[in-house]
Amino acid sequence: MAWQKEEKITYGLFLDKHKRMLVFFSLLFIILSLRLSYLQIIQGNYYRAISQEQSMYNRLEKAPRGIIYASDGTIFVSNDFTYAVLFKPFDIEKVPSQEIIYELSSILGRDISATVNKNTEYGRVVKLADNLSIEEMFKIREKQLKLKGVEVVKEPKRLYNFSESSSHITGYIGEIRTDELRALSQEGYKLGDYIGRGGIEQSFDKYLQGIDGGWQLEINAKGYQTKAFKYIDPQIGNSLYITINPQLQKIAYEALQNSPTGKGAAVVIDIRSGAILAMVSAPNFDANLVGTDEFNNYLKDKKLPLFNRAMQALYAPGSIFKIVTVAAALEVLSLDPDWTVYCNGKFELGDRVYACWKKEGHGKVDLKKGLAQSCNVYMYNLALKLGIKNLDDFAEKFHLGEITGIDIPNEKKGFVPTPEWKKAKIKMSWLQGDTVIFAIGQGALWATPLQMASMMSAVANRGTFYKPFVVNEVMTPEGKPLYRHTVETGAPVVMSDETWDILQDALLESVESGTSQRSKFRSVRVAGKTGTAQNPQGDDHAWFVSYAPFDNPEIALAVIVENGGGGGAIAVPVGRAIYEAYFDLPPQPLPVYRRAETKTNNDSKNKQAAKKADNKRKSA
Amino acid sequence: MQEKNFFYRLALNIDWILLLSLIAILAIGFLSIYSATYSYYGLKYVSVQTLALGIGFVLMLILSSFNYQHYEQMDKIIYVLSLLLLISVLILGMTVRGTKGWFNFGFVSFQPVEIAKIMYILILAAFLNKNGKDAKKFQFLFYAFLLLLGHLFLIMLQPDFSSTLSYFPVTLVLLYFIGVEPFYLFCILLFGSLAAGIPLISTFFKLQYNLDRNANFIIHIYSFIKDGYVWLFCIIAVLLAIAALWWLLIKLKMRVPIIYPIILCACIILGCVSSIAVEKSLKEYQRKRLVVFLNPKIDSRGAGYNIIQSKIAIGSGKIIGKGYQKGTQTQLGFLPEQHTDFIFSVIGEEGGWLISQLTLLFYFLLIWRAMSIARDSRDSYGSLVATGIATMFSFYAFINIGMVMGMMPVTGIPLLLLSYGGSSMVSSMCAIGILNSIHIHRHTYYKTSIEIF
Repeated sequence: MAWQKEEKITYGLFLDKHKRMLVFFSLLFIILSLRLSYLQIIQGNYYRAISQEQSMYNRLEKAPRGIIYASDGTIFVSNDFTYAVLFKPFDIEKVPSQEIIYELSSILGRDISATVNKNTEYGRVVKLADNLSIEEMFKIREKQLKLKGVEVVKEPKRLYNFSESSSHITGYIGEIRTDELRALSQEGYKLGDYIGRGGIEQSFDKYLQGIDGGWQLEINAKGYQTKAFKYIDPQIGNSLYITINPQLQKIAYEALQNSPTGKGAAVVIDIRSGAILAMVSAPNFDANLVGTDEFNNYLKDKKLPLFNRAMQALYAPGSIFKIVTVAAALEVLSLDPDWTVYCNGKFELGDRVYACWKKEGHGKVDLKKGLAQSCNVYMYNLALKLGIKNLDDFAEKFHLGEITGIDIPNEKKGFVPTPEWKKAKIKMSWLQGDTVIFAIGQGALWATPLQMASMMSAVANRGTFYKPFVVNEVMTPEGKPLYRHTVETGAPVVMSDETWDILQDALLESVESGTSQRSKFRSVRVAGKTGTAQNPQGDDHAWFVSYAPFDNPEIALAVIVENGGGGGAIAVPVGRAIYEAYFDLPPQPLPVYRRAETKTNNDSKNKQAAKKADNKRKSA
Repeated sequence: MQEKNFFYRLALNIDWILLLSLIAILAIGFLSIYSATYSYYGLKYVSVQTLALGIGFVLMLILSSFNYQHYEQMDKIIYVLSLLLLISVLILGMTVRGTKGWFNFGFVSFQPVEIAKIMYILILAAFLNKNGKDAKKFQFLFYAFLLLLGHLFLIMLQPDFSSTLSYFPVTLVLLYFIGVEPFYLFCILLFGSLAAGIPLISTFFKLQYNLDRNANFIIHIYSFIKDGYVWLFCIIAVLLAIAALWWLLIKLKMRVPIIYPIILCACIILGCVSSIAVEKSLKEYQRKRLVVFLNPKIDSRGAGYNIIQSKIAIGSGKIIGKGYQKGTQTQLGFLPEQHTDFIFSVIGEEGGWLISQLTLLFYFLLIWRAMSIARDSRDSYGSLVATGIATMFSFYAFINIGMVMGMMPVTGIPLLLLSYGGSSMVSSMCAIGILNSIHIHRHTYYKTSIEIF
């Protein structure tokens, strides 16, 4: 302590500065301390969350979708497994590099760059390839170290056991699209999820979706896994129990496929509840092929296999609409069933001539014969007596022109023309000629096979309309019920018992001695009606609607063979095969199909003689 | 008997608070380096650091017992020695990351600039102490800066910008202590901040503009500063304002020499002019690195990445930290340079607020003791040297810890005594040794013959 005493003034100045400097240094440290408190105490939770987020990674394991059981307990849709390759962004690599794509392509022996480019999104997990076999999976795992950021994950694959006949009912699944994701993300869907497309896969997607599980991993800055925290078991989705009978389904499909054109649809409804027992559309597609190149062929196929004819195709009902015409006549006009018309094969209205399908005419026709033999002339007369207003009313009563409400999406509702519609659409007033052809189910009247089957089940039920359904029950994998279909009825068709009796007798007559004779069985009485729908684009469509047994009805069905020609010859055998299967009847040899070429109204004269024999067999 | 005597007297005279805080800091530093490097490199870094500490500790003991007053007499020798060191590294040195600043001795390398910093404090203090009576003269300032320039020039040749940064606060603080007019020091500061600040601020706005072209405010500022005439007008306006203020003060009968406004104006003009030179000499990436702390997002994959990750590391430590060797940022490699410049974020993450504040406290204790040693020194030379060392520790700590917390530019300045690095460890221990020497010799009268105690 020398200079403190020797140079008092200098030291005094020094001490002043020393104090200020000490305060200054303290300030620096206080600033650091405050900043530290701000980062760690005030913003601590925020930064903790970020640090966890960037060091944690959930390696997802997709949950399998729920299993679908058919009505006889067989597994309709189940699951299998494949492997998929994902790219997970890390560190500075936010998109898969060219080397990785090249390397993977050479391992897999196929070029994956197209898939990669389609899926790539900056900083997101990208699916590089899927549908890998176990061998390919091991090959990639071997080179895991070389392929930075690449990961192989197990992915469930849907297995459709009855895909050859039932793909339209099940639908299929596909990866969620980014445009869909915006709307669905609130409902818990995320990128990379699979959702149902068409069929019950779509309408019951919420139930079928499982809960994804997987590994919760710790990763380092380079993207390598360093630790595994926990494993969450993926949970399978809920099981669906459907009303479809796979055997019936198979037989109906085979019968349709064996029909002359191989195109058409068949719907079988349990009339006591509205349960769909079978619903086929031919040709079918294979839902197991989704995602493969073969599936793309379906898109190009002119036969439109992806199109569900049973509920999306609109056909003119043709003669099966005569059921409605007759019902209207009995109810509105209180028509005496013995009222007769003489059919000479023609019906003149003004300067136009409307033909009956039977050129030589049916002779004297009463109501029962009119429906059983499907006499057009009889119907023309009824039409003029009824007028379009009553016919439209009854078409509406039978729920034509509105959807049945089946639990499969994208149902078409058909169309019932009205005078107002015609005026608005083509600026022409409704003519009596329009009424006349409306009565035989032609004109602008459109309906789906499902609607026709539903209508037929209402006839069997004497007016009660059950809403058709496919999914009867949904249960958790543990067997806890989640959803059960409750039988719903639409507005019933209210008619007198007498009317129903006459109508049902006439339909029975059609099978016993009329146009639908090919579905006649010794042990089971069937009531039905055939139809031949004129098709402006090509050959006529063959219709057959019916229900059985007559005394105590169980099922109703509708069959259409596209461009098949006459309903009695072409569509009825399909219905017969279904009845044989349903009632477990011994199969009886069917007559050889003949190609139908004629049209009821405009047969050319030179062919007339040749077709005569055919026409006898055919029904309208 | 001599040995026993030596340690006995050492123990009696040593500043125990200084030593304890030193030991605490070293312990925290070693544990952090171990935690940051063990999982990736094993004991490699810890053992090198231990070796450096061993050398440093021996040097500290030697320097503690060596009378610091000799340095004042040997100032010329030390200065020449330091220049020789810096020149020889330019000739014989090894280049690491573009900087020719290391002597390579096979398994270890040494960075002479670290020890040159300590030597500079000794030399500057000697010069100031000897010529303190001329502190008001302009030549005094000139010679002092000439001393500084010798070192700066050689270091810039390496080139090692960050090492030069510590020279400025030490020089300014010591000049302030010796009695240089604070106004001049203010002018120097103003000159420096204009020269360095203008290019950096324009760089920042340019980057910010690139990042977000929709922000109207930024566009206005950017187009504003891009225009050269705007600058000119601004400068003229400021100069006129200074002149007006001076005139006002004269009118208010306040005696302000005309030299003051003239020097101020000269500083502003010179500062602006040299900012152009600075802009030219600093490379784009260097300027980017210096401004990125203002908004790490402007370079989130380059220099900003370090700051973002470092802030995440510190912040995520919260109050009690994630636990030793349990920091995800540290252990999983998200933190860059975690054992060197970013060692404090390891402490922040794994030790949390408590340990970090404790570290700051020990560091402040060390600086406070250094300042106390300056106050109690035997002579004014010792006071200056101790103040210089305290300043060096303070600014290193502030710049480094400020950097890891995202409030200071990213410069390659280590955290003395904590960061991994042999040279800075040895030189820091030498500095502590000199501090001890000043403390131990606070009662000793200087004798020209060299002796211990």
